[in-house]
Amino acid sequence: MKLSAPQFWRVRENQYKLVITICGDCGKKVVFKRPTCPYCGSGRVEYAESAGVGVVEEFTKVYFKRDSSEDRLPEVVGVVRLGEGVRVVGEIVSIRDSEVREGMEVEAVLRKYVSDDPYGIIYYGIKFKPV
Amino acid sequence: MEVGIRGWGAYIPRFRLSAQEIAALWGYDSRLPKALGIVEKSVAEEDEDSVTMGWYAARVAMRRAGVGGDDIDAVFFGTESKPYAVKPSATIIADALGVKKRKLASDLEFACRAAGEGVRISVGLVKSGLARNALVIGSDTAQANPGDLLDFTASSGAVAFVIGSGSSSAAAIEASVTYVTDTPDFWRRDRSPYPEHAEIFTGEPAYFHHIVSAVRLLLEETGLKVGDFDYAIFHQPNGRFPLQVARSLGIPQEKVAPGLVTPYIGNTYNASALLGLAKVLEEARPGSRILVATFGSGAGSDAFSIVVRDSVLELVKKGPRVVDMVNFKVQVTYGEYSKFRGLLLRNVGG
Repeated sequence: MKLSAPQFWRVRENQYKLVITICGDCGKKVVFKRPTCPYCGSGRVEYAESAGVGVVEEFTKVYFKRDSSEDRLPEVVGVVRLGEGVRVVGEIVSIRDSEVREGMEVEAVLRKYVSDDPYGIIYYGIKFKPV
Repeated sequence: MEVGIRGWGAYIPRFRLSAQEIAALWGYDSRLPKALGIVEKSVAEEDEDSVTMGWYAARVAMRRAGVGGDDIDAVFFGTESKPYAVKPSATIIADALGVKKRKLASDLEFACRAAGEGVRISVGLVKSGLARNALVIGSDTAQANPGDLLDFTASSGAVAFVIGSGSSSAAAIEASVTYVTDTPDFWRRDRSPYPEHAEIFTGEPAYFHHIVSAVRLLLEETGLKVGDFDYAIFHQPNGRFPLQVARSLGIPQEKVAPGLVTPYIGNTYNASALLGLAKVLEEARPGSRILVATFGSGAGSDAFSIVVRDSVLELVKKGPRVVDMVNFKVQVTYGEYSKFRGLLLRNVGG
């Protein structure tokens, strides 16, 4: 699958890092760098990088993909609650499927998401591995 | 001005492939793993490469050093398994770590010793005042022709150091020297998926000659004797060569054993000797003097004299230790190894 190099380049900060948007009006936090607060619409937002540590709240196993990362199937995808209190969806790596459980401590790691093989761009992003 | 290691970090993938399984699959004598001094090797997953592993090690090194992206003036990435043949990997890691834009950044290639040269370049930059701190990363997903002798040892791992000045260093780099010649012991041509090696020629005229020469130069230039060192760490293409080179230099095995990682995780190429250094930094007492000699085919060796400082005891606690990563492991079969490392040809995508 061919992705757009410029499109990825524009959003790479949200791919390479776990940035948290903190609303200056309603005080709510949300993962990813966003220009406005998704809860109250305020543009008075600040950003902070997450320490990248959290726990798995939910998880499921994925058997089908069509984005050139099929080599990894089946893969485990989880909802991770970060130490800063926000939740983010991400792949859980460096585990046997049978090891993953709710409450498992994980840390953010940079991994390959997909790759326009064999000649295109490699797209990196954040996943989670057990601590 | 004292220049030293302000922080260090390592990364070892969690999966391990047993050397006995490799021997059985390819019809080698079951005594071969013992002869090579290898029990198992670390295996990176499908979504790991030298960039992702180097990122982890560098992140830990920066945390230990207590430096942020604005404090790093140079990033050097030593590898022989670049994800891109053309396009720097150092820039990906630097951006992902938030290192500022005003910096030097490049990938270095000299088989397994590029990161060693990165450390020497960084010492020069810091000493001359051109950089306050430099980040050096050694990372490889080493390739081996399936069934070749290299298949027993070629593994994956990364190590990183923040080189800077100041009294808060974990260890001072008091001297270093490099010995380099044109020796064709191991190579990989463009478009070739796996390296070739010159069998026994990789030993005496390559590994042993260059390491012994670099160490002797270091001793001559510093006036130190081998007995002045508490630890000796050499490049580890297998579990035997480091012990043999130590013997030829008159260094007892107990000074080499603490820095030996290859028997348990394989040869991590650019991380090999420097990963041994990271492990020793996590165990050594302040005041200990460490001899480190890298080796890269082609061929060359960097020898360093490093003295551990008091700060090391606090910095150890600020990140995961090498020994914990060595022990946090899961066994895989040769089939899983083939899947993880992309050795199977499949139609995907579309």
